[in-house]
This record gives sequence, C-alpha cells and structure tokens, in this order.
Amino acid sequence: MKFRLFIISLIMLVSMSLMVACGSNDSANSDGSADNGDEVVVDVFNIKVETTEQLNNLIEIYESENENVKINVTTVGGGQDAPSALQAKFSSGEEPSIFLLGGLSDVEKYKDYLLDVSDMESAKTAIDGTLQGATIDGTPYGIPLNIEGYGWMINKAIFEQAGVDPASIDSYDKFVEAVETIDSQKEELGIDSVFAFSAKEDWVVSQYSSQFTAPEFDNDIKTAFEAEELNFEYGDRMKEYTDLFNQYNYQPILSLDYSTSVEELFANDRAAIIHQGNWIVPTLNSMDESFVSEKLGILPFFVTSDTEGKIVAGPSWYWGINKEQDEAVVEESKKFIDWMYTSEKGKELIVQDFKYVPAHEGYDTDAISDPVSAEVYEYLLNGNSKIWANNQYPDGFFSEALLPEFQKYLGEQQSWEEFEQAASEAFTEMR
Amino acid sequence: MNFKKRTYWLFLLPTLFALLVVLIIPFFQGVYYSFTSYDGFQVSSFIGLENYKNLFSDEQFLYSLGFTAAFSVVSVIGINVLGLSFALLVTQKLGKVSTLFRTIYFMPNLIGGIILGFIWQFVFLKAFTGIADLTGIEFFRGWLSDTQTGFWGLVILFVWQMSGYIMVIYISFLNNVPKELLEAATIDGANRWQNFWKVKFPLIIPAFTVSLFLTLSNAFKVYDQNMALTSGGPFGSTEMATMNIYDTAFKVQEMGYAQAKAIVFLIIITLISVIQLQITRRKETEL
Repeated sequence: MKFRLFIISLIMLVSMSLMVACGSNDSANSDGSADNGDEVVVDVFNIKVETTEQLNNLIEIYESENENVKINVTTVGGGQDAPSALQAKFSSGEEPSIFLLGGLSDVEKYKDYLLDVSDMESAKTAIDGTLQGATIDGTPYGIPLNIEGYGWMINKAIFEQAGVDPASIDSYDKFVEAVETIDSQKEELGIDSVFAFSAKEDWVVSQYSSQFTAPEFDNDIKTAFEAEELNFEYGDRMKEYTDLFNQYNYQPILSLDYSTSVEELFANDRAAIIHQGNWIVPTLNSMDESFVSEKLGILPFFVTSDTEGKIVAGPSWYWGINKEQDEAVVEESKKFIDWMYTSEKGKELIVQDFKYVPAHEGYDTDAISDPVSAEVYEYLLNGNSKIWANNQYPDGFFSEALLPEFQKYLGEQQSWEEFEQAASEAFTEMR
Repeated sequence: MNFKKRTYWLFLLPTLFALLVVLIIPFFQGVYYSFTSYDGFQVSSFIGLENYKNLFSDEQFLYSLGFTAAFSVVSVIGINVLGLSFALLVTQKLGKVSTLFRTIYFMPNLIGGIILGFIWQFVFLKAFTGIADLTGIEFFRGWLSDTQTGFWGLVILFVWQMSGYIMVIYISFLNNVPKELLEAATIDGANRWQNFWKVKFPLIIPAFTVSLFLTLSNAFKVYDQNMALTSGGPFGSTEMATMNIYDTAFKVQEMGYAQAKAIVFLIIITLISVIQLQITRRKETEL
C-alpha cells in the first residue's frame, strides 16, 4: 500500500510541476520586461523574411552598443500567414513591443495599442507623405520601413538580344510590340516564355490589381481605405494587360508559384518579364551577383493614358510600437527604431546591407547600390508613382475574393465582366 | 470512498483537468462566439442565429463541404483497399522481406502533413513535368492547375500517407484469425480465394469498424495537406471545409461566423461517424 501511495504522489508531483513549469515560462516571456537585472527585453515581430539575416545583424550591432537591451525577433512570413500570426500573438497576450503594420486597416485594428510616433526623430526625417499610410485623424502611428516599388521586372539582356531597347518603351502599344517581338524569337533567345506571372500567389495578383485600382482611388491612401466600392474604372486596360500576359505566359499559369517564377525562370534567363518589386533584389543577388547590376530593369504600366507610365512605389510596411508595454520597453523600442533610421551606422546598414530604398531624408542616394532600386526611388521623387492601393483593400479581400475570381478568368471559367462583378460585390460586402 | 476509488479519480484528475482547459471550456466559448459577431478582438454584438442563417447562402462553404465529402469517400475507399492489400501482402510467409515492406509502407505516416504536401507538390509540379517533357505524355502535364488534378493530387497524397497506418490495423486482425479455421477450410477444399472471402473477411470486419472510423474522420479533418499542396487553388476549387473555416476566421477576420461554420462541421462529422459505427458494428461476426 505504501509503495502504491508513493508512486501516485510521484506521478501527481511530476504532472503538477510540468504544468507549473510551462506556466511560469510563459509569463516570463509575455511581460517581456526586465526580470533579470536591468536588462530590457524588446520583442520584435518581423514579417520581412527576405531581410531576416540583415535584421539580425543590425540587432547584434545595436545590442553590442547598448548592453542593457535584449532584442528578440520573431519572423513569420514567406509562405506563412503573417497577419494571422500577429493577431494570434495579440489574442494570446504575448504582444510584441515592435511589429509591422501593412495598411490603414492594420493601424485601425491595433490603434489601441499603438504609440503616437510624431515626436520621434525617425518620424520627423521621414520623406514627406510617407507617413500618410499609417496616419489616422492626423496622428501618425508608424514609422515607414522602407520604400518598395513594383511593376514589370524585366531581364534587359533578353530585351536587347531580341533587338528591343527597354528605354524606348514609352507607350502601351510599344510594350505590346516588345512582347510580341520577344515571343517571335523565343527559340533563339532560349527562353520558355516571355512572361512568368505567378498567378498562384494571392499577393502577386493583389499587387498587380493595384496598378489599376490606385488611379481609381485618386492615388490617395485615405480614399482607398475609405472606399466602399471598387468599380474597375480602368478594368478595360486591366483586361488588356491580363490577356497579354496570359497569352505569352509560362503555363500552367495557375500553379506557377513565386519561387518557380522568380528563382527558376526569371533568374535563369528563362523568362523575360515578371510582375514583382525591388524586394527580389536580395534573392537575385544571392544567386548571381551580376544579374541585378547588369540585367535587371523595371517597366511601368500605362493605365490612365497610353503614354504615361507609372509604377507603384511607396512605403508598404510601418513599424508600430506597442505603448501598452512597460515604460522602459517603450522607451527602448523608440530608441531602437530611431537608431535604425537616423544614426550613421543604421543608415549605412539600411542602404548597403538591407539594400532598402530609404523612406527617410538624409541618406546618400548615390549609395543605393542597385539600378532598379535607384529607378524606383526616381519614379517616387518625380511623382511617377502610385500608391499601394492593395494594402487598403478590406481584410481577406485579396485572398478570398480577388484571387479566386481572377484565377477563374485566367482559367476561362468566367468572363471578364463576371470577374469584375464578382470582385466588386465582394469588395463592398467585405468592407 | 475507498482507496481504489480514490486512486481512480486521482489518476484521472490531470487528464480531466487538461481536457477541461483545452477542450471543454473552449468548446463552450466557441458555441457562444458563434452567436455573436466576433472579429477576434472584441464581441461587438449578440446576433443570435444570424451566422447560421448566412451559412446556407454561402456558396463557397457549401462547395467546400461537398468537395470534402467527395474527397473523403474516394480516399476512404482508396486507403482501405490499399491498406488491406498491403496487409495481405505482408502477412504472406515471405520471411524477413515482409518486415522490410511493413516498414516501408508505414513510413509515409511518420512524415508531417505540411512536409508531405510540399514533397508531393514537388512531385506533381516538377517531376511530373519532367516526365511529360521526356515522354511527351500529356497526362503528366499541368497537375494541380485545375480542379480535377488538384482533387486527385490530394487523394493520392492522403492515400499514400494513411494506407500504411491502416495496414497495421489490418495486419493485427489478420494475425488473429485462428489457424485451425483456415486449416479446416483448406481440408474442406477451399482455395485461397474462398479462404479469404469466406473465412478471413468475416472475421476481420471489426477491423473495418476501426479503420473506416479513423479514415473517415481524418479525411474530413484534412487541413495541412490541403494547405501545403494546393492551398485551395486554383480559384478556391480545392478548398476543404477546414480551410474555409480557417480562412473565414483568420483572413476575413469573421471569428463568430467561422465558429458557426465549425460547429455545423462538427455536427456533420459526428453524425457521419455515429452512423458509420452503427452500420459496421451490426456486420461484425462473433466467433
């Protein structure tokens, strides 16, 4: 009897201690602040998978300069569903101190947690207008991460081999002509297809749609955010572009994913045009150093008129700071973000290591190392850019409505009119 | 309370506690949320049966239920036929080889659903295209880019994953068929075919009860394989019910509505499982 009692109490003890262990571990993580000594722990929630390494490197340098700060990074993204993961963190009480915000809908959702950043150094030096995407009722809630632009990314070498000068493409007709010229020489150029548009990825389709919806929203983030309906004002041009790339695309287009499109076809000179942005630069660099500097170019979309070419460029992400954390953590979070964008070391890393197009003033623009990023920057400064309208779509619209409906059109399951109608209805319903 | 009773409850307590915290409480919370418009942050209003009413006009949800049902029927048949065949194969007297085959057949089951999804995505997209390029057979081209190949891709993946597991169940029942019955049948002049259908088969019916239950409920609940292989595409035509529920909750941010879907889904699975158990139980033979 005694022995059985002993065993039972042992089991109880073990299971209890397990529970306690798990519990105490969680609580130490979630309040995220100084438990051991004076160390302040800042939790960063990162969505930019492409520059995870660079971010870790930057943090290491920062930590070596500031001994009392410990910065933990959680990176979610790529194939995973980052916004859901962020929301899960918040609902479970493990709120990060610094996190990335996509559009105004994110800002509005997390508004109760977000710190007014207007007195921060990195907010003051932000390029005029870049704070707009995180501003509600005149209060900015986020620091722009960087400038990102997208359009048709092209392989200039293939264009030139086919006898097309990319710089001469200044109208829609010339773009079509160029595509047809390249297609006619597919064999000689050794390419599989002219386009490698990845219609499997919801975000690629969403960004593509933004080329046509941004002008409809007067190119204004607030208008886009408040829009109750999407009418496809430039739907005809969108159809023309869509038919064009679908005709000359790598097939089957519906199962073409990002990595096949970019890393396999485009990077290996097997496709001439993809719809992407300057964030593919680090990936391309890691595969072939010379590709970006020698071959990569960007072509605009001719939407509002046949001759006026524009790309989408602007801040796509904003750093939001959680004001509900301990005061010390909030202070250190602010200091960290300021350091990242306004200190000499930070600036250097942003441009040279991250290869970001900076969203802040006071940078040496000649230091932007790759020509495409420089081009994007130029489009922005010259006012030839459109807003990231897709970041202001209603929650879930792009993945649950736009993508399936667009794929149905590509797969000839429905007409363009049906696509427009279905997408418009979903837009209004989900808003 | 005597000692036996006390220890009984003592042993039960940790499990009961865990079940209460991770299953029972969240379940009732979920039922409550399904009557509200809850966006994951706050419950804005109590709307009664509104969510449930909307379900019946949600075409994509109804479609995904139908798709899941079709997937389940096909893969349950596939898994059990294949699992039983494997089991018969490895219970033949083949010596060491049969152990090797048992291991090989069971192995896919040790790989997680997400990884499996990506492995098969590679097979369907890259390997199949390679075969098509080499042989010129069009059958291998364009997998996962339309609804049919997406559907069969999922079925192949799931059958491949589960049949090894089901095989193990069949093996254990096949090994329990008394030798003397088989011997008697052989002496009476039964050939192998008759031996299987008239003697073994009726005796392993209980295995069907277990296997059908496991495969049916697992097939209905497939999520990770679906997510990794097709993620519902193209145009949401290979989206299963679980994925539809997840997307409603975390992408469209309609938690309350998603809860209502989940509860309807739960009721459906429970009903099907109970009916299936009733039917196969009745067919079981007592020795």
